[in-house]
Amino acid sequence: MKEKYKFIIKPILFVAILCMLLIFFSFLFAPKNNIEEAGIHMVNANGILGEREHTIDVLVVGDSESYSAISPMEMWQRYGFTSYVCGTILQPLLLSERFIERTFEAQSPTVVILETNTIFRETTLSQDIESKLESYFSVFQYHNRWKDLSGYDFFREPRYTWTDDSKGYICNAYIKPATAAGYMAYTDKVEKIPETNQAYLKNIIDLCRDNNAELVLLSTPSTVNWNYKRHNAIENFANEYGVKYLDMNLIADEIAIDWSVDTRDAGDHVNYTGSVKVSAYLGQYLKEEYDLPDHREDPAYSSWHDAMEGYIVHVEEEKEARAAARK
Amino acid sequence: MSSYCSLAYLGLFLPIVMVLYQLTPQKHRWKALLAASYLFFWTISGKLVMFLIFSTCSIHHFGLWMTLVQEEKKGKLAEAEKSEKKQIKGVYQRKLRGIVTLAVLLHIGVLVVLKYSTFFGTNLNTLLAACKVSFRLPIPSFILPIGISFYTMQAVSYLFDVYRGTIRADRNLGRLALYMSFFPQIMEGPICRYSDTATQLWSCEKISYHNMTMGMQRIAFGLMKKIVIADRLNLFIKNVFTNHASYDGGVIAVAMVCYTCQLYMEFSGTIDVVIGSAEIFGIKMPENFRQPFFSKTISEFWTRWHITLGAWFRDYVFYPLSMSKPLKHMTVSARKHLGNHFGPLVAGSIALFVVWICNGLWHGAGWFYIFFGLYHFGLILLGNMFGPLFKTTAEKLHIDRNKWYYRGIQIIRTAILVNIGELFFRSNGLRVGLTMFKKMVTNFSFASIKSRQILTLGIDKYDVLILAVSILLVFAVSVMRERGIGIRTAIARQNIVVRWAFYYGLILFIVIFGAYGKGYVPIDPIYANF
Repeated sequence: MKEKYKFIIKPILFVAILCMLLIFFSFLFAPKNNIEEAGIHMVNANGILGEREHTIDVLVVGDSESYSAISPMEMWQRYGFTSYVCGTILQPLLLSERFIERTFEAQSPTVVILETNTIFRETTLSQDIESKLESYFSVFQYHNRWKDLSGYDFFREPRYTWTDDSKGYICNAYIKPATAAGYMAYTDKVEKIPETNQAYLKNIIDLCRDNNAELVLLSTPSTVNWNYKRHNAIENFANEYGVKYLDMNLIADEIAIDWSVDTRDAGDHVNYTGSVKVSAYLGQYLKEEYDLPDHREDPAYSSWHDAMEGYIVHVEEEKEARAAARK
Repeated sequence: MSSYCSLAYLGLFLPIVMVLYQLTPQKHRWKALLAASYLFFWTISGKLVMFLIFSTCSIHHFGLWMTLVQEEKKGKLAEAEKSEKKQIKGVYQRKLRGIVTLAVLLHIGVLVVLKYSTFFGTNLNTLLAACKVSFRLPIPSFILPIGISFYTMQAVSYLFDVYRGTIRADRNLGRLALYMSFFPQIMEGPICRYSDTATQLWSCEKISYHNMTMGMQRIAFGLMKKIVIADRLNLFIKNVFTNHASYDGGVIAVAMVCYTCQLYMEFSGTIDVVIGSAEIFGIKMPENFRQPFFSKTISEFWTRWHITLGAWFRDYVFYPLSMSKPLKHMTVSARKHLGNHFGPLVAGSIALFVVWICNGLWHGAGWFYIFFGLYHFGLILLGNMFGPLFKTTAEKLHIDRNKWYYRGIQIIRTAILVNIGELFFRSNGLRVGLTMFKKMVTNFSFASIKSRQILTLGIDKYDVLILAVSILLVFAVSVMRERGIGIRTAIARQNIVVRWAFYYGLILFIVIFGAYGKGYVPIDPIYANF
């Protein structure tokens, strides 16, 4: 009995109290708004927290390929459905899963798009555990806010008020041409998807199915990151699990990607002009495949027209800044 | 599992091994530990585990071979006439020496080939070029199995101890394998002797509640040193050492002190995690640090810093060399010519020189590591030569060397000398080290500190505050240890409320003030690369 007390009851009690303390400190350290000044990380991607509930039709997750190539406002302007890019730099798949999971708490997107470059990004076991800890106890993510803590943090519940006019898209109008000859040369070889990422992918598939959302795997154009071996891997996976897969690298001509002007870093990412082409194609694809609603005349979505104005200003500023830099 | 402070090790591997170990019947527990140790090695070095297997099998074989010869010698001596005994002893001694030499050369050879081929090859090619010889050696490059410098030293100590008859060769390959591979120490030491850990490892006692809590306390304290202090200093140190040309001597001096602090906190913190992990399983490992910054001389420093490495060099390089016939003859001859103080110093210094060359090279294949070794050799030699002079002078001036201020000055002097050595150690190149040292001396200024520019180089005022609090905490614990007060025992005597409050306090201190996540770059395990 004494052994049982020492090795089972006492540790359980100790861990339970520790969890309660971590919950308290997670509340304390959580940013109380989704703006940079409040200390939130990944500000653009977290702009979705400020969106009105159940208003997002399409959620996009992925790494820098996603927020460089997909512009929700371009799709809104053309087709009238709403989308948001929760893409972050070097986003590991486990973080994509977290974004999807959290989005389902307040949104009910019809389609979830996963940019596939992240599927080949391996994470260490420690990173996986850290991410899990962060998802349960945000003190692990925001512990460094002790430097900015105020009395306000002790009493207020988080209230997210900010939305991003670009809806997670990051505009970059810089041009650095790429030599794209033969980057998608055919092969029947298949690159291996890391085991842990396969597990995360399966979780994401289940998560989407449980929330009645259609998962689409999307490879945006990238001469640096994409090749036929990767295409084959994703295609095989998509076929095996009954998931839709769209590889824009195979239809770059149809999308009219011109690698001499549509990339900002020699083919690694598309730039603004490239993203306009990608978004136009993707928007049409989504509209046709999923019959997404057009909210442009709906007064409940008037804030999207305001966002459009902000987006246009932002794009113009970026274009002017690049033009000035070229001079 | 890139380090003992990683979540994969502390949050998954160690707890799983603890549970499996506890659930396994005692007679099979060693298998659980051995399997865990090899799995640990495999996850880091993969197929290179074959080097560890080779080392283990070979010391097993050589150990038994030596035992066989020793037993044969005993038999012969028992049967021999008195007049023949000396000759028999000589024959077998030569045979044993041959076996141990072969075995040690084999192990050191593997280490030299894997670790030093590039260094020696590059330097030989430079020499050939200087001699205008067109021939160039091909320079191989190998991936090192994790912890090779540590387990090779354990293997060599085992071989020497069997040769000297200090221990009996172990017939049990499983026990030897466990001694060589025990997962908490394989990556960064401490360098254990067979007599330190083998029997403990084999006894495989059940995990006791006392050992578990003691071990975990030590792990938490080590994590605090590593995550709160060493990792927090990393960005600043990286900045200054990478762009040293942009900063004045004052900033370089601060970075030098910070690096010494970081090195101590990282290495001793990791060793706390290692010793704490072993303690959970009831294994008491030798200590690797004993408050090194309370040392009054460089010699003393090396008996308190990386203790097991210093002890290894003392027992397996310094003593054998000092006691060798040529050096003994040299001592006798030098004593005649140089007197009783300087005479024995000559032979001792030669042995010391070899030790410090080896010590420098053990840390890495580079001239600045050799310089690092020779720097300490020079300081110890000067101490040995002029120690008596200082003593006599102090006596003549009626200075009490036991007074606190005299000891204080000695401690500060030693700390400064150690810091200068670490500047070269971190500088990643002898020339860079010399440039930084020169700038520190000739261009010393408090301007960057006064203007607070220093607080823009990777640590802000809040970081400085947390560093100060944490270092004070470590200092307080060090003072208590120095006075023989066991802080963990003192905590264990408290009631459960106080104990748990202390544990939660320490855990939350690490969680909140740890330098991890966004904005921080944790330091890689420094000694795991050696």
